[in-house]
Formats: sequence, structure tokens, C-alpha cells
Amino acid sequence: MRISSEAEFSLRLQAARAFGLKSARMKLKEGSFLWYLYLDKLYCLLSVRNVKALVDYFHLLDVHRKNTLNDVLFYHFLHHVTTLTRRQINIVFNMLDWSAMGEIGFDQFYMLVCILLARENQLEEQFIFRHSRPVFELLDLDGELKIGADNFHMYNFLFNIKRQELRELYHDFDITGDRLLNYKEFKLFTMFSMDKYQERQKAEKEKEKDKDKDKVLLKKKRSHQVNMSPNTSFWNKWIRK
Amino acid sequence: MEDKPLKALDKSSGHRASGKSSQQDIRNLWTTATLSQPKLNVALSDVCEDSEGSSVSSRTRQWRKQTAGHDWDASWEALEDRKDKDSFKQEELDEHSLLELEMRLDSSVGSHVEDDDESRTEKPSSVSSFNIVKHTHHRAYWMEQHNRLPLPLIELMENEALEILTKAFRSYRSGIGRDHFLTKQLQRHIEGLKRRQNKRLHVSAH
Repeated sequence: MRISSEAEFSLRLQAARAFGLKSARMKLKEGSFLWYLYLDKLYCLLSVRNVKALVDYFHLLDVHRKNTLNDVLFYHFLHHVTTLTRRQINIVFNMLDWSAMGEIGFDQFYMLVCILLARENQLEEQFIFRHSRPVFELLDLDGELKIGADNFHMYNFLFNIKRQELRELYHDFDITGDRLLNYKEFKLFTMFSMDKYQERQKAEKEKEKDKDKDKVLLKKKRSHQVNMSPNTSFWNKWIRK
Repeated sequence: MEDKPLKALDKSSGHRASGKSSQQDIRNLWTTATLSQPKLNVALSDVCEDSEGSSVSSRTRQWRKQTAGHDWDASWEALEDRKDKDSFKQEELDEHSLLELEMRLDSSVGSHVEDDDESRTEKPSSVSSFNIVKHTHHRAYWMEQHNRLPLPLIELMENEALEILTKAFRSYRSGIGRDHFLTKQLQRHIEGLKRRQNKRLHVSAH
């Protein structure tokens, strides 16, 4: 029973993912500065050189020399660089401006850039797994050290977690049964989704290998046919005679 | 600590008393050489003065540690301090002054140059018309080049920031008014960026 439900869950997860990819997906503007930054696939962090470039970029936007960006600058930055809507940008700003100062510093800015790059490179699971604590703190809007499903769903455009996935997530990982996830439960979820991600990657690699094998076989067949073709033309001519 | 550069300057004053290049900072030579155009009117350091001003001092500090003990270095330090105080203006470097500077550097540091250092600093480059990379002191140049962002990236960043800030400026103007100090601050920043962009265009036009 358990196995079948897991299989069903994974199928739903894949379907939700496929659906999510087809639906309006946040994208970075091609050719923008962020588009050129490279996010390490293993650690989901930028290199020191990239961070230095990002600091310079941040200082260019920090017009008022306070080492922060206010909501107007932040909105125009994200609106220029991504396809996020005004509502989504406001949600992101409120998420990062946890202390309600009306400004975000470089730390939050860096975190946001890493999230955007992870989303762009389809590394959401990896990112959440590697940075589970900061992500948990970002999602925990009320500071109760627990995350509700609504909060989770609000940020699906950043972390690509769909409603269906969420239901499954709370069904499988809400061990305390309070319909909220504490950090340990959340960590379990990140490990689970990471396993799934790795399995999916393995499957994709195997598919690619199979494709390569097929290509090699096709090539061999074609070359064989080419070698055979003079003979067949000879037989054709002979038959016509 | 404060006296050291002054003393050093006195020591080396006879050493670099004559010629146009005596007023020059060695970095200007490097930056001019980077652009493969020895007769440029505007040095790269001028173009990127705001964004790089803060990092230059830290880089040179690191560089000082490496080459400590040379007379030439002390005089270089003194020159650097003079630059920091804006006590002299940048002048145009012609080929003659470049040669002169190179020869002077040869005479002051050449005897201390080690063979292995030479091989380390000798990297393929098309940046200069002179073969100056074989000297040890140009390791600082390479370090600077490695720490610095590439010019196209700076250009991209600034262009993008300019677009974003122009949009933000419109929002400021409609939201808090044209005369608000934040709006004025933003406007000044935009104008500064535009000026820098124009300077860069001027450099590329030459």
C-alpha cells in the first residue's frame, strides 16, 4: 500500500512538475547581468568572483548609500531582470524584509539572486536541501518556527512547489499532525525531494545514454546501407537487363 | 608610519626628478597598456574611478607586502600617497615617457629580479607594445587584472543599472515629487553614471 502510494505520489509530482514548466515560469531576462552569473550546481552558491561582481552591482543600485535597496528600487530591479509580476515582487520583498524596515541589505539580495539562479537552472530541490535553514526562516513569516501550507504555496513561483505536491508533503511529513511543518519535518522533506531529484537525474542520464546508443546503431546501419547500395544498384541493373 | 612615504619621496626625488613620466603613477602606465593604445588621452582608472576607488588601496596594500624592501617600492608608495591626496593631475603618456619609465624601473629593480619570478610573470599577452611583462614588479599588474572585473561586464552592469535607475527616477518623481532630496540624490547618481558612460565611449572612440 505504501509503495503504491509512493509511486502514485512520484507520478503526481512529475505531472505537477511538467505542468509547472509549461505554465508561466519565472525567467531571468536574457543578457542581463544576473544571467551571466554562474551558480555552483553542488553547493548552490556563487563563486567569490561572482559575489564581488554582485557587490559592485548592488552598490550601483544603492543610490542612497545606505547599503540597502528600498522597495521602489527593488521593484524596478526585479521587474527589469525577471518576468515576475508586481504582486510577486511585493511578496518577495516582504519575505526578504523580515524586520519590516522597508529596505533589504546585501545579504538578502545575495540570497534572492541565488534563489533566482536556482530557479532559472531548475535546481530548486538542490537549493532547498543545501540551504534548508535560511529557506525555512524565509518561509516562516510569522516567526513561529513552523510553516503553514498557505505560506508554502505563496512562494511556489520561487521554489516550484505546487499545490498537489504540498498536499502530499503535509500528508507524508507532518508527523506531529498539527498541519504545520517544523524545521525537522521540513528537513525530512528536503532530503526526500533531494532523493527524488537525484533519481530523476539518473533516469535522465540513462535515457541520454540509450539515445546515444540508438544513434550509434542508426549510424552503423546507415553506413552499412551505404556500403550495400552499389551492390543493390548492380542487381537492379542486372534485373532490368 | 606616516613619515615613511615622505622620507621615501625625498630619497627618490633625485631619482625621478626629470621628465614627464616622473609625475606619473605606475598604474596609469598599466591601464594605458591594457587598452593596447599607448596614446590614449583618458586612462581607464579615470573612467572607472568611482567603482574602483575603494578597492585600489586594498590591492596596493597587498602588493606592497610582496615587494617590500625595494627603494623603488618606497618611492612608488610615496607616489601613490600623492595620488590619493589628488596632489597631481594625470598627464598624457607618450611612447617616450613609457620608454623612460621602463628604463628607470629596469635600473632600480632589475638587479633584484629573480629568474623564477621572471618565468612566473611571463604570460602571453597582447596588451602592450612594450615587452614589460617580464619584470617582477608587473606581477602587481597581473594581480590587479585578475581582481578587477572585465570591462564589458562593468559596462553591462552600468548600462543595466542606468536603465533600472531611470525607471526608479520616474517613480520617485511621481511618488514623492521632483524636489525631494531622495529624488535629487537619485538624479545625481544617474547623471554620474551617464558621465562615466560618455567617458567610456570617448575612450573607445579614440
